[in-house]
Amino acid sequence: MTSRSQTAAAVHDRPAHGDLVDERIILCYYVAALTFLTVSMLAGILMALQLVHWNPLNGVELLSPGRWRMIHTNAVAYGFLANAFLGTLHWAVPRLTFHKVASRPLSWFIFVAWQAIVGLTAIGIIVGPTFQDQPWLLDLAKQWRLPMNLGAQGLEWGETPFWIDPVALLGLALVAVNFMVPIGRSKGPMYVSLWYFMAAFVWTFLTYAMGNLLPEYAVAGTSAGAIGGLFIHDLVGLFVTPLGWGLMYYFVPILLKRPIWSHGLSLVGFWGLAFFYPLQGIHHFLYTPIPMFLQYGAVISTIAVELVVATVVINFFGTLGKKGSEFFTNLPIRYFYTGMVFYFITCFQCALQVTLTFQKLIHFTDWVVGHAHLVMFGVFSLWLFGIMTYLFPRLLGRPWYSRTLCEYHYWLSSVGLFVMFLDLTLAGVFQGWYWASLQPWDASTDGSQPFWITRVFAGLTMFAGLLCFLFNLWMTWRGAEAAERSTSQFAAAAT
Amino acid sequence: MSDTHPSAVRPRAGMSRRQAWVTAAMAVVILIPSMYGFVGKFLEFVHIYRGASGGEFAVAPILNYLLASAGFFCMLLWAAWNGMFRDIEQPKIDFLENERLLDRDTRP
Ligand code: HEM
Repeated sequence: MTSRSQTAAAVHDRPAHGDLVDERIILCYYVAALTFLTVSMLAGILMALQLVHWNPLNGVELLSPGRWRMIHTNAVAYGFLANAFLGTLHWAVPRLTFHKVASRPLSWFIFVAWQAIVGLTAIGIIVGPTFQDQPWLLDLAKQWRLPMNLGAQGLEWGETPFWIDPVALLGLALVAVNFMVPIGRSKGPMYVSLWYFMAAFVWTFLTYAMGNLLPEYAVAGTSAGAIGGLFIHDLVGLFVTPLGWGLMYYFVPILLKRPIWSHGLSLVGFWGLAFFYPLQGIHHFLYTPIPMFLQYGAVISTIAVELVVATVVINFFGTLGKKGSEFFTNLPIRYFYTGMVFYFITCFQCALQVTLTFQKLIHFTDWVVGHAHLVMFGVFSLWLFGIMTYLFPRLLGRPWYSRTLCEYHYWLSSVGLFVMFLDLTLAGVFQGWYWASLQPWDASTDGSQPFWITRVFAGLTMFAGLLCFLFNLWMTWRGAEAAERSTSQFAAAAT
Repeated sequence: MSDTHPSAVRPRAGMSRRQAWVTAAMAVVILIPSMYGFVGKFLEFVHIYRGASGGEFAVAPILNYLLASAGFFCMLLWAAWNGMFRDIEQPKIDFLENERLLDRDTRP
């Protein structure tokens, strides 16, 4: 059946939105996501304070900075981004396919299980290291010949304690089943978002298994390093990126009320990502003992992905076309396109970072931390804020309490992030030169202080943006009388 | 528009010349240099693996990549076989139209 005739059938037997979408679960996912984001940002601020020698929790073992850092990254990736994506998928997939998810009870089970996984990860990270050398644990470890590392696993971005990994994998498999069933039931040529979603379900499962299990149980040394590199990068590129772009291809045309500029080009972007992204990971390990031809292979595939990114950016700006004024009047669109500009900057940075000359200077410096915040917050979090700004009024059935607070959220988040990004990028260059000039280590940390102090203020600005959003949401939820009359299109779209 | 809006009246999506040109150009610009680079590096890998010990390092990531990509290659063939790329611009029109119809239920 072609897409056209399938749509014809859909027009006649069209299920209603209420039958397709379970709005309550989306709200629950969003509340969980925002809770974890708050925890994560507080942890980020604590970590930033530690680096300027003002740790308010000095001496508290359970809340030591090393643990907070892992809480910061894990809560953001698995608590905020994953929850917000899962909630949004419960809106987008049924509406795109005209089929409900495989099972609503399964959806609720996954929701509860996922919160338990993220919560237990946090507990593992915080109390694990303290219990680590208990005699009963050492005995168990000997008996089962397992590392029995109750706390964080020693894998970058795979810090989830080893005993949670199988449960997390089961959760990811269930997520895939729950969404693949409606996608499988829909017939005819698929819209590009569904391609991205399908790929993300398969990739996330495989990536998680590869990154958490192989280096722990199967491979060691340089090979484990190579797998680690693949894992870190694939987590961004094969979990967050396809879901993010899939959702942009879904929401941007709806909000602009015009189709994407070229569906064909969007498919070139999708298949390009599918084939070139998985080889890039080793670009995190330039100058290591990994054979040079593999390192160069990663460099080539990174450049190929730059071109893939260009297709996506051309497509979205082609779609905006003469509707450029929407950028100013339509807040979700502003979030989306700001994220896209940041995405372009991130990828431009990648093109520089991937050269050996550049790596010599910036590897291990704060440049990388700036890059990480630009992509995770500047791109994906801004997109999710835009989606939430659009969907919350629809889910709650009333307009935002305050348009001004929505604007504050946007400006504080994007300006705070941009300052943090510039600050850390510059810090990275300074640190690189300090190290290259072979000055003592302390010289580089002392020289970093002004940058790290600026980071504290940038972080507080971003956090203030989040507080505006949370207060606005609270008032909207309570049904408080809207603080001002809004004439903007975003409010109109949202009601 | 009425609920029984027949699909025949739906706008048809064609690809403009410019769109077709940009799509083809980007596909070529991405594919040719990347394939050239990859094939070269792969031959180098085979060469090293046969002759020297260093190649073993590379087996794990390359196998990983080949396994993941083989799946996607099969999916690409399956999609092409099932006509997913035939009427390539139409899904973008149908999707928006479906959204409009769904929203009519929920919005005043
Ligand atoms: C309140 C705002 C924030 C502050 C003050 C902050 C601060 C920090 C600090 C101090 C680190 C450790 C850097 C180091 O080890 O040298 C860090 C790491 C990181 N943060 Fe944040 N952060 C904030 C918000 C966020 C958000 C919202 C995200 C994601 C959406 C995020 C993603 C990351 C990532 C991915 C890393 C790891 C970087 C790496 O290992 O290279 N941060 N952050």
